[in-house]
Amino acid sequence: MQVSGGTDATVGIPPDVTEETEAFWTAASEGRLVVDQCDDCSAFSFPPRGMCRTCRSRSMRSVEVTGRGRIYSYTVNYQRWLPDLEVPYAIAIVEFPGCPGVRVVGRLRGCAPEEAAIDAEVEVGFEPGPGGYAIPSFVMLGPAP
Amino acid sequence: MGHDRLERRAVISGVGQSVIGRQIDRSGLQLTLDAITAAVHDAGLTIDDIDGLAMFPGGGKANLPGYANGNLYEVQDALGITTTWRQGQVEGMSLPFYGPAQAVATGEARHAVVWRTVKEGSAARKAGGRPAYGSIHPRAEGPLAWLLPVGALSPVCQVAPYATRYLHDFGVKREQLAWIPITQRAHAALNPDAVYRQPLTLDEYMGSRMISYPICLYDCDVPADGSTAIVVSTSEAAGDLRSPVRIEAMAGVIDGRPAWELLEDFTRVGYATAQAMWSRTDLRPTDVDVAQLYDGFMIEAVWWLEAMGFCQAGEAGQFVEGGARIALDGQLPLNTWGGQLSGGRLHAGFGHTAEAVRQLRGEAGDRQVEGAEVAAVANVGGFEAGAAILTGW
Repeated sequence: MQVSGGTDATVGIPPDVTEETEAFWTAASEGRLVVDQCDDCSAFSFPPRGMCRTCRSRSMRSVEVTGRGRIYSYTVNYQRWLPDLEVPYAIAIVEFPGCPGVRVVGRLRGCAPEEAAIDAEVEVGFEPGPGGYAIPSFVMLGPAP
Repeated sequence: MGHDRLERRAVISGVGQSVIGRQIDRSGLQLTLDAITAAVHDAGLTIDDIDGLAMFPGGGKANLPGYANGNLYEVQDALGITTTWRQGQVEGMSLPFYGPAQAVATGEARHAVVWRTVKEGSAARKAGGRPAYGSIHPRAEGPLAWLLPVGALSPVCQVAPYATRYLHDFGVKREQLAWIPITQRAHAALNPDAVYRQPLTLDEYMGSRMISYPICLYDCDVPADGSTAIVVSTSEAAGDLRSPVRIEAMAGVIDGRPAWELLEDFTRVGYATAQAMWSRTDLRPTDVDVAQLYDGFMIEAVWWLEAMGFCQAGEAGQFVEGGARIALDGQLPLNTWGGQLSGGRLHAGFGHTAEAVRQLRGEAGDRQVEGAEVAAVANVGGFEAGAAILTGW
């Protein structure tokens, strides 16, 4: 979904990319959200730690999350923590009914930050973030049920 | 029950603090030495009696300017002592005296001093405002890699979603919880060492600037400069001590996912710790005379009021509304030194522990709670939580 407007998210602190997180940030640059899924028990694990949180298998693969998410909670940040940081913006913590145990933190765009709501459905997306990295950025699909 | 509990073989023997303020133009080492000297004297001991040293955060990495100060070995060198036990605290920060109590209970040390020195007040002044979490590193590492790049740049942004979910699930109003900062400010007025001492009104609270919704300015603790030291001694030495305080029970449990954004239920923080702590004593919440509950953000004190059973889940709003129950003459006087919201961000439960000791000894001056014999102390850094009951000798 193409949604323009909102706050520039490029001012900030970029991630340190590690062996565990490289797949996530590479997929992010392609606009895809990936999490770990266990080859042995099929459980999801995120953030990736190289071990299945459910059965401790070390055999994991990256799979794309394509379904809608749901806002577990959120905040609207008004404070200019860094020079040139554009405020306000909403930060949402999103769960995915199809991927139990996965929570992803991202920005919310395409609406006024104050419209953020617990239990609202969101579509997965990304937007340009600090240091040239694409960061998770969700779009609300309507008000909370 | 439980006279063989480890913590019963340890006592808190002394507390001491440096001068505390928004900007103290002295080094972290000098503030630390002031606090340690005062704490050891307060215990009725001399520096030569100290054989254990612990500091927060030890060699651990600091994510905020002014957060970490000094070096344990420099302090030992300055004191000119021999140590048989040392500890840097970050993980295991559940309570300042937790590790030291283990050390003296097992004979690793006889008298251990633990300290926390902050220079966050000066750092905030220098930065022209409260700085971003992680802003002293060019890249966000470890758990912060999922938070800072998306704009959750401060601990405020990390805790705020907990408050959002709490208000949503229980229908509690900000106007109700406002009575925590308002009442603590009234307590701070009676504490000459507190940073903010002028009264705070409900109108001022509701009109204050939003930092990260629903956390406003007065829900945040105040960055400060200062050092707090606590001496923990073996209970065998009680006869040599000026005024020891008993550690009736202590616990620190992490049962949920240990990351700010991952904890399964944002409305239930500290419950496993509180349950483990109460299982170690016959005392009950109604026995507690005074509570020093961590308040880096106001919502954290709410967690503890409910997790420790001072009120039921979702009922903290009703419990604190109007302030009468948490006032000095109320059923549960809360953060009688002003807490970190008004007293200053001494951090990691150090200020809270020092005040609990003063209250139990009857040494809390104008803010003394009449007949305080049982104190609750709780500390939290999100998932990392510690709770204790302290009692007078």
